[in-house]
Amino acid sequence: MNLAAPTPLIHPSRELRDTCAVVGAGTSRLGRVPGVSSLDLLVEAIRNALDDAGLKASDVDGVLCRGPDESYSHHQLVAERLGINASFSTTLTNGGASQIMSVALAVMAIRFGLAKTIVCGFGRDTWSRTHANEEARVRNETRPASLLPREFGPEYGYFGATAAHGLGATRHMHLYGTTRDHFAEIALAFREHALRNPAAQMKKPLTFEDYHAARLIVAPFGMFDCSLRSDAAGAVIVTSADRAKDLKQPPVLIKGFGTHNNTRGWFNNDNMVVTAARQSGEAAYRMAGLGPADVDTAQIYDCFTYMVLTQLEDYGFCKKGEGGPFVASGALRLGGALPCNTSGGQLSESHAEGMLQIVEGVRQMRRTYPAERQVKNAEIALVSGHGGNQVCHSTLILGRA
Amino acid sequence: MTETRPKPKPRPAPESLPYWEAAREHRLTLPRCKSCQNFWFPPSRTCPHCLSADLAFENVSGRGKIYSFVTFHRVYHPAFEAEVPYVVALVELEEGPRLLTNILGVSHEEVHCEMAVEVVFDDVDETTSIPKFRPRL
Repeated sequence: MNLAAPTPLIHPSRELRDTCAVVGAGTSRLGRVPGVSSLDLLVEAIRNALDDAGLKASDVDGVLCRGPDESYSHHQLVAERLGINASFSTTLTNGGASQIMSVALAVMAIRFGLAKTIVCGFGRDTWSRTHANEEARVRNETRPASLLPREFGPEYGYFGATAAHGLGATRHMHLYGTTRDHFAEIALAFREHALRNPAAQMKKPLTFEDYHAARLIVAPFGMFDCSLRSDAAGAVIVTSADRAKDLKQPPVLIKGFGTHNNTRGWFNNDNMVVTAARQSGEAAYRMAGLGPADVDTAQIYDCFTYMVLTQLEDYGFCKKGEGGPFVASGALRLGGALPCNTSGGQLSESHAEGMLQIVEGVRQMRRTYPAERQVKNAEIALVSGHGGNQVCHSTLILGRA
Repeated sequence: MTETRPKPKPRPAPESLPYWEAAREHRLTLPRCKSCQNFWFPPSRTCPHCLSADLAFENVSGRGKIYSFVTFHRVYHPAFEAEVPYVVALVELEEGPRLLTNILGVSHEEVHCEMAVEVVFDDVDETTSIPKFRPRL
């Protein structure tokens, strides 16, 4: 079903460019962390981000986070654990686009004086939740039963995000000749990056043969096309660029951001092959005064291999339909034309719904990694967030001060 | 599995009831706007094309083509254990809207995008019939 005309691009104000910086970044333990709630994982990541920034919890006057789907006013629980009152705080609920949106909201709040220093973070206990018992393992579902579809899906045996994104992958393969070999290269590149990251959940090399020998989950996706089930959290500390100058870490400037939701629906128009990364990215580029050619490293929301491929097209790193040949060129590898998901991504590092991509973008901009993990001479990082009912998107552009 | 679990039946939202009542009579219907004449899916009480609340469920052709599809190899629900691998397709009807469905009467290896299909009704019990599709000759 086609609904109305294409959405026009928006022109966000450039006044916000470089007004704020990320001054701290942290993660929790990643992977299988049984017996620890998502809230405690998030607090662990925030504590590490504060240490990284050389700040105390009492220096923070804002909390922006997302909670588990069944949570209520999750930010209040987070601030309570931190032992602080918060001038500006709320819980965002826009799926995997929430994490970048929280950074965007922090910039706006700080720029207009509603808070001085805001912590943004997200934690999840998805490995524990999907391995609690045999039924949970079979369902492989993170949402509580009360939030799952009741019709137009389950009666056909249609369950889960793998199938939803797989429909997009099949359509893209049909239209553009994209193949599973292209998807394999994405999985292999990110696994190779994860092997350089001691904190990554996946520790074993992945070969082309392994990829094709793995069991199919929901074709065209096999096991290695799917992101990890993880217990994982990440957090960043945002403050004004002025205040950032006096802090412990080299500040990483927030140069631009954008969001867009294709809320007309994943099944409608051409939304499953041209994602909201297009409008979201264009807004971020315009705010930053930059374009795809300026980006040195991309940290792309990789819930499934295919979603990386289509977002690379939608962000303008290659033309629509040419994502397959683009990734096959080796562009995504460290040392390639556009090193992507350099910590291993959600396919191989850990899955915290885009939060770890923000952390990795910040770390790449600091250039403090050992040479084998560092994108050489990196000045600009693009980070993406995607999710919800496959339709929400957000983009963050970071740069060195 | 030690017991056979029944497949989930649709639990209709109030605005979807006319769709399922028609399906029980082996009629495929879609909400259609009396103001702008457009069809849409899934059912809602206002037209997503023009926001009119003046609508009726109308019989549609039941013909369409496969826009996209996936093949389930993993069992997410015990009731589908005997079915894997099975296809879930998004069928674009001639009237425009796209419906999730199963494709019957063809092996999963033969299903492809743009395949012409037509509706058939799967009577799961005395109260519920589920629209599914098969290749159109």
